[in-house]
Amino acid sequence: MSRAAALLRLIGMLLLAAVTVCGCARTSAADKVHIEFWTMSLKPKFTPYFKALVAQYEASHPDVELEWVDVPWDTLQTKLTAAIVAGSAPALVQLNVPWAYDYALYGALRPIDDLLGADRSAYTEGAIADLTFNGHVYGFPHYNSVNVMAYNTALFRSAGITRVPTTRDEQLAVASQIKARTGQYGFSPALGKIAGLMLEEGLPLVENGKAVFNSPAHVAFVTKLADAYKAGGLLKDKLFSEDNYPASIDAYKSGRMAMLEAPPSALTRVRDDAADIYAVTDVAPVPIGARGIAAGGWLFHFAMPKGTDGAVAREAAAFAKFLTNDVNQLAFAKLAGAFPTSRKAVADPHFQRLRTDAGAYDKAMALGAQRMDVVRTLYVSGVPGFERLNKRLQDAVEAAIIGRKDVKTALDDAAAFWNGKLAPLARPTQAAIRP
Amino acid sequence: MAFYVRTALHYALLTAIALLCVFPFLWTLSTAIGTEGNVFSFPSSFVPHRPSLANFIEVFRVIDLGRYYWNSIWITFWTVAWTVLVCSLAAYPLARYRFRGRGLVFTVIIATLMLPTEVNFLVNFITSAQLRLVNTHLGVILPTLAGAIGIFMMKNAFEEIPQDLLDAARVDGGSELYIFFRIMLPLALPQIAALVILTAVTTWNNFLWPSVVLTKSDLMPLAVGILELSGTFGSSTRVIAAGAVLTIAPALLVFFLTQRFFMRGMEGAIK
Amino acid sequence: MTPRAGIDAASADRQPWRARAAPASRRLSRRAVRPWLFLAPALLLLALFTFWPVLWGSYLAFTEYNFLTPPRFVGLANFEDLIEDPVFFISLKNSLLYLLIVPAIQLGAIVLAVLVNNTLPGIKLFRAAFYVPVVTSVSVVGIMWGWMYNEQGLINAVLQGLHIVNDPVGWLSDDRLALFSVMVVTLWRGLGWYMVLYLAALQAIPKDLEEAARLDGATRWQRFWRVTVPMLMPTILLCTVLSTLSAMKVLEEVLIMTKGGPVSSTYTGLYYAYDQGIRAFNFPRALAASLVVSVFCVAVAWLNFRFLRPRHR
Repeated sequence: MSRAAALLRLIGMLLLAAVTVCGCARTSAADKVHIEFWTMSLKPKFTPYFKALVAQYEASHPDVELEWVDVPWDTLQTKLTAAIVAGSAPALVQLNVPWAYDYALYGALRPIDDLLGADRSAYTEGAIADLTFNGHVYGFPHYNSVNVMAYNTALFRSAGITRVPTTRDEQLAVASQIKARTGQYGFSPALGKIAGLMLEEGLPLVENGKAVFNSPAHVAFVTKLADAYKAGGLLKDKLFSEDNYPASIDAYKSGRMAMLEAPPSALTRVRDDAADIYAVTDVAPVPIGARGIAAGGWLFHFAMPKGTDGAVAREAAAFAKFLTNDVNQLAFAKLAGAFPTSRKAVADPHFQRLRTDAGAYDKAMALGAQRMDVVRTLYVSGVPGFERLNKRLQDAVEAAIIGRKDVKTALDDAAAFWNGKLAPLARPTQAAIRP
Repeated sequence: MAFYVRTALHYALLTAIALLCVFPFLWTLSTAIGTEGNVFSFPSSFVPHRPSLANFIEVFRVIDLGRYYWNSIWITFWTVAWTVLVCSLAAYPLARYRFRGRGLVFTVIIATLMLPTEVNFLVNFITSAQLRLVNTHLGVILPTLAGAIGIFMMKNAFEEIPQDLLDAARVDGGSELYIFFRIMLPLALPQIAALVILTAVTTWNNFLWPSVVLTKSDLMPLAVGILELSGTFGSSTRVIAAGAVLTIAPALLVFFLTQRFFMRGMEGAIK
Repeated sequence: MTPRAGIDAASADRQPWRARAAPASRRLSRRAVRPWLFLAPALLLLALFTFWPVLWGSYLAFTEYNFLTPPRFVGLANFEDLIEDPVFFISLKNSLLYLLIVPAIQLGAIVLAVLVNNTLPGIKLFRAAFYVPVVTSVSVVGIMWGWMYNEQGLINAVLQGLHIVNDPVGWLSDDRLALFSVMVVTLWRGLGWYMVLYLAALQAIPKDLEEAARLDGATRWQRFWRVTVPMLMPTILLCTVLSTLSAMKVLEEVLIMTKGGPVSSTYTGLYYAYDQGIRAFNFPRALAASLVVSVFCVAVAWLNFRFLRPRHR
């Protein structure tokens, strides 16, 4: 055959092959609206839950086709961003608040105010507030967690403490007193996340593009921590590590520590591993910082990547509301040991009504639920290169608290480092709790 | 007599080392076939108790192993087909043409062997996103097609074809494509077979790039999907073992049937 | 038949290749273009997926980049981050430690090749057995060895059963042992591959050399060292370089078996890059790390050449 014909035939074969390969991966349900939604590391525990939900929804909405994709959390950011760039982003994706903030900042998320509509009031205020950036809401709240403070009543009695501390200052004082009177530790603050602690106290890190964590207020706060450390009131194990959670639980379980700040699920471990300690455990709200915000919130929600429009957006929003309605949120929260973010679910007797023989865990759940309206996810935003800067701050605070450096000097040095890195940036930065 | 002793020792040594090489496979096979007994006991776990195919059936029921199988076959098939096409197309002018820039092309291709290409997966991931190839089979296949080894294998094959055949074809008025498809390829069939087998096994076993590019599990090939299985069912070792056996069986089968191609393919690569 | 047609027909007989040839200028350019048409698909793919990543990756290592907004040049900031990250140094150290595997694999492969370089009955079966680890997917290899290394796993069961140890050994959970456990897996996978290369080289050694040495009364040992090894030197050099490069680029075994743990003790240079890129979503830092790894690779390869190059006598 002629050259041209042979060449054409070759190209034709290649094209056909390419199309087949590409096309094979896509389903061709042209009449149904196809909604792809991603969740974060929820398989295999929640596989039956989601399969049932999907089946239920598809049965009642025959024109919608759902596709559930579960992505391991450690690769979710990368895969999602690539999908957004490739134009194949899902209609809904489960995110945490800091990630959602970043994506919203770069215009990768679609605000959902219009799709949320009146249903906005079905969710707790704190949750909506968490997801409001620059005046727009960017997600359908799903589940949350909140810390409570479990305390060892026996240790409290031996140390002569009659009032449960309600502020950080009181908590630090109590810690020193416990150490002095009983020889056990008071509590283990998350000093590995000092930025969060400062924010809870209403102490901002950056103002007007300059580091302000060496102000007198900050110095005073860190000094208090240093004093408590010197008095021995703070658990020394892994005090400054990024995750001091396992060490704290172990210390509390073995009776070496009087107060434990953790989500209620931690109490199930105390209940299972140390029944004697569990018997003398009571719970109280976590001491509130100056802003009146309950700490330990970590909100998960379903966000909508940009580019989701028209029928897909509408159906996706309807499905998202279904996913996060009271009934389903309650079921999920029970399964996960977490808290829902819809008002009705939070008010459900499961959380609010205590059995007469309620142990510490049930009390913690009730307490947590009460806090749902004010719990906020605290994180630092808007500071480029935050990781490096944070490490400097961490090291400085650690040196100050263990007494190796003077508090003011340490904070000043770190502030100077921050200012050196922040100064050349054109855009102003603001590290604060999101309004 | 000394000869027999020496030979016996020789075999003993060979057997010992061979056992070291294959014992994990034997154990996995035994675990997959057996249905009771402590999985990790020694030495009894090497002999399957109450052998049955139950675990193998369970694997197909519990995760979509059939889908992973199909994906692997699909990806491997197209990768092999296009790799042979692309590499042989490129090798033809390198083997039989004198043209300006030939030396440069050679250098360029050899340079790819020197480059630290393992790290390319990072930028290829970005490129794939920008070309809308993430989470597609095409995205898995494309970056793997052109390789120096394949091109050189084909070049060696083409160089051995007598020039007169080509001349005769040209005289008869054949186009270059005609010569390529009707003469070069058929005569290079042995080397093509070697390339096919090597590429097939490599692609079947390929793990890193598919796991980076693909997100949805219903697109994943076996090598990646099998890991999902082990994450999902941490405690059912026997089922995972069955899955593992099913994953490696095809590649091993192909290997055993075509051993000499592997051995020869390596020699070709060296040259 | 007109006279003109007759002449043309005659000339077509004498010079058949002219009959269909295009006018000179068009023929030349089409001819010149043709090889490039054949090369086009391969060159395009190579350019896009092999060369472009090297260039663009090297540039991105000096930027801040999140895929959604254009890259922002930040100079050496990523490299500063690397220097301040202790895990990066651990990964470099581990990559260098991994080089310990190279002499082990090469020696082992040579020994194996010698052992199978004969025509004993069933030798093909042994060769295949040694090669089986090579044709198994690394994910399955990782899963299988994970079972071997498990604290309640097979190896501990054997050791405890034979009373060699009393307590289970934390092959993958003890941060002092984990890296070496992973190295053993790489060794296990690589032996067969290099064995084949050495086998080919051994079989290429002219038989008369061995014969002559034997007739001269040389012992096996002497024959091995005086004849075999020198003839193998080029292959040894090649294999050592290949082995060194691939030891420094170990990534998949770590990804599947330990994910860098326990306590970051099994991080290797490339795994660090993977971790930073795909898991921490910091591609520029990942590329900076991989640049450093590449530089190390080049340096180590060069060292290899210097020390193993055949000396001219």
